[in-house]
Amino acid sequence: MTEATITPAMLSTAEVARAYREAKAKRAKKAALLKHVFLIITSLIMIYPLLWMLASSLKPDNQIFGDLGLWPREFQWQNYWAGWNALPVSFTTFFWNSTVVTVLSVIGNVISCSFAAYAFARLEFSGKTIWFALMMMTLMIPYHVVLIPQYLLFLNLGWVDTYLPLIVPRFLAGDAFFIFLMIQFFRQLPRELDEAAMIDGCSPFKIYWAIIMPLSLPAMATAAIFSFIWTWEDFLGPLVYLNDMEDYTVPLALRSFISSDGVSQYGPMFAMSILSILPIILFFVIFQRLIIRGIAMSGLK
Amino acid sequence: MAAVTLSEVRKSYGQVPIIHGIDLAVNSGEFLVLVGPSGCGKSTLLRMIAGLEEITDGTIAIGDRIVNDLPASQRNLSMVFQSYALYPHMSVRKNLAFGLVNLRMPREEIERRVAEAARILRIEELLERKPRQLSGGQKQRVAIGRAIVREPQLFLFDEPLSNLDAELRVQMRVELASLYNRLGTTMIYVTHDQVEAMTMATRIVVLNKGRIEQVGTPYELYNAPANLFVATFIGSPKMNVLAATAAGGKVEVAGLGTLPLPADKQAEGKISIGVRPEQVTIGAGELTVEGTITLVEYLGSEVFLYVRVASGDTLLVQAPGQSQYKIHDPITLGINSKEAHYFNGEGLRVG
Amino acid sequence: MHKFLRRNFAGYAFLSPWLIGFFLLAIGPILASLYLSFTKYNVVRPPQWIGLDNYFYMFQMDQRFWKALQVTFQFVVISVPLKLMFALGVAMALDKGIRAIGWYRALFYLPSILGGSIAVAILWRQLFNYDGVINSILRLFGGDGPYWLSDPKYSLWTLIVLAIWQFGSPMLIFLAGLRAIPQELYEAAEIDAAGPVRKFFAITVPLLAPVIFFNLVLQMIEAFKSFSGAFIISGGTGAPLDSLLFFTVYLYNEAFAFLRMGYASALAWVLLLIIALFTAIAFWTSKYWVHYENERG
Repeated sequence: MTEATITPAMLSTAEVARAYREAKAKRAKKAALLKHVFLIITSLIMIYPLLWMLASSLKPDNQIFGDLGLWPREFQWQNYWAGWNALPVSFTTFFWNSTVVTVLSVIGNVISCSFAAYAFARLEFSGKTIWFALMMMTLMIPYHVVLIPQYLLFLNLGWVDTYLPLIVPRFLAGDAFFIFLMIQFFRQLPRELDEAAMIDGCSPFKIYWAIIMPLSLPAMATAAIFSFIWTWEDFLGPLVYLNDMEDYTVPLALRSFISSDGVSQYGPMFAMSILSILPIILFFVIFQRLIIRGIAMSGLK
Repeated sequence: MAAVTLSEVRKSYGQVPIIHGIDLAVNSGEFLVLVGPSGCGKSTLLRMIAGLEEITDGTIAIGDRIVNDLPASQRNLSMVFQSYALYPHMSVRKNLAFGLVNLRMPREEIERRVAEAARILRIEELLERKPRQLSGGQKQRVAIGRAIVREPQLFLFDEPLSNLDAELRVQMRVELASLYNRLGTTMIYVTHDQVEAMTMATRIVVLNKGRIEQVGTPYELYNAPANLFVATFIGSPKMNVLAATAAGGKVEVAGLGTLPLPADKQAEGKISIGVRPEQVTIGAGELTVEGTITLVEYLGSEVFLYVRVASGDTLLVQAPGQSQYKIHDPITLGINSKEAHYFNGEGLRVG
Repeated sequence: MHKFLRRNFAGYAFLSPWLIGFFLLAIGPILASLYLSFTKYNVVRPPQWIGLDNYFYMFQMDQRFWKALQVTFQFVVISVPLKLMFALGVAMALDKGIRAIGWYRALFYLPSILGGSIAVAILWRQLFNYDGVINSILRLFGGDGPYWLSDPKYSLWTLIVLAIWQFGSPMLIFLAGLRAIPQELYEAAEIDAAGPVRKFFAITVPLLAPVIFFNLVLQMIEAFKSFSGAFIISGGTGAPLDSLLFFTVYLYNEAFAFLRMGYASALAWVLLLIIALFTAIAFWTSKYWVHYENERG
């Protein structure tokens, strides 16, 4: 190649290329618009039932059914008051019960699962691979399979009608999902940190407490949030272990609405349903980044 | 300050031996560099001294204590890691103080030592920063600072400069050397970079495949390599090695001609002869060979010529930076018997 | 011995809560329920060994067992593919830097988080009521909706829709998978004049196969395990006409309503085996349609 000159033929090719580029950009813009229309409609459909429930919680009973509107003609705030006291036991008790169970479960889960995850991710001991494989297998076991023997065990311990069957398993790292989530996180931390700490005179526990934990706050928060949501929503556990209405958690109480003698109090029922999911929605709004990253990280649930 | 003694130290992972019985005496107050190709076991050996890796067999003593079963923190040593391993959630000050706090040292003493280390390493204004706010060179300084605040009897370095860019690496090399001169503490330093090894060490240990090839001062390793491995590993660019046959005080270099064997060497049969690039003379010598230049590497201060000679070998020759050689030029080279290295059939140094 | 103890002490110390839990709450109960499945046990009197009778009864006599299997399979086979298709479609629309992706992602994921709650199950019951929202919408379009909740022909669809509504988590996983497909492949395909459909089947699907497989296994297991929706919507019994008698609902009723713990344990083991079998089938067949990047060529 010696000297380059621009010929007329080249110029017209450039014209064509430009036109092609512009057409493509236009098409891309149109496609993006269509996508947005599709996504907006889909999200409206997704969110509509929840908004409808919110609206219905403020409507008088006779305006709930068949009314598609999302704006009550009159706001019946007393639905919330009525719902709160609709059952023989007040919802104050149910929310308190749920809070106790949930807070203790979350604490238990985070401590015990981070212990196990630290052992699997950072410590050397014989039999580690076997235990790890067994731990992963428990991810697949349906709760229903262990439910009956667990029930019999707790029955013999005299724990039925207490919160112990709901809380104690959380302190024994009962949910392998969280162990797995934390292992994934711990493995990203450089091992040389542990070694530097070892030379700096740290015991394994001190390394866990002073190095690994402070660096894993996002993972701990993710685990705490998920375990909060699942415990708060848990229905089967309380259904099996709690019989006295004084002990009911919120989901059990909600069920009492529909099973109690068919007298329908739809407005109050929806009001309590809204209140029951409010903590979850609040958590979700505040922590959605962590939650979504947690899903992507563990690839589970 | 402490001497370190390794005797018959072995390491295997399962059935795979990594370190095959190493005997080594590190003198008190010396700067010993472990050097070797990747996978030679040098890092493993260092980590065994540190107590981060268990030893399969043998004994390690620091000072007059056998430390085989002593945890890392009780060996009175500190270590600088390749990735620096600064605690990301602690300020520089906390990073420096962490080990001392674990030793339950009085507060004033901790503050004094941290201030002293910060002064020596010129990181005083960085003390309140977090590691992620530091540059590579600054992180390296903090990592060294964390090692010196403990005032240990032994420093271990695991390729501490390999994450730095070339310029910083030279600078830190100088600083490390002056730190050593100032503290005078025993240091064991692992690197794969033989320039680092040559410039900083009082003695070098060349490791290969889990065995010691040679221990000696940089001068000894360069001028009297014990075997072909050390001869070609130390020195950049590499030493030229030619096949040869020795008989009756003469050496027949394959395809090139004969050289007299120096009087102090005894060799018969197949040998190898090694000549460093700067020891090949341009122009006639005791053995004169003709060749053609196949590649010219211009480095400024000097020029390296790749010369293809009659035997089919390519000799690497160092020429002054001002010389005007071009590719395809014919050239005459000389090899002199006194400047050559001789290795017997097993690759061991002759004489 | 001393050395062995020291080397293992920390690991087992940290592992001990999990180990206790594993023996007491996982492996122990699994073996216990295997034993119980060979007994007749009503909690009041000690278990009585009856060999394989529970299983004979189950397979030969128990109409409700077969019904529960059928309902559960129907639910799994219809809801899982629909949910995954939906999740993939939305994930593809969300892929590649669309504006406000954070908002969409959050909105689409919200139902997945709420889906297991009793509040949503209660809501669903009302939505599908004969006078409910769904039928009102159908009437707007001139249709006449069925009695969703009381007609066994339609009742399962309420739960299928509920399952699809929770497409958020497979969507997030698909999204992560789509991000991992190198953009150059699509550009190369464009140079080779491939249209959008061709690109989807020639690039997206094969490269996403491992993720699709992963989601499929996970969602299948989830679907087999689902309980509270069916329990609430059917009023706890599987009504109408056992058309919502999910396997888990049947198991719960046998165990805790009728106190037939032995028989319920047998049911639990059948459920465990079914899930294990389906997972195994998914893994066996995966080698024919899932190609991992690193074993190409």
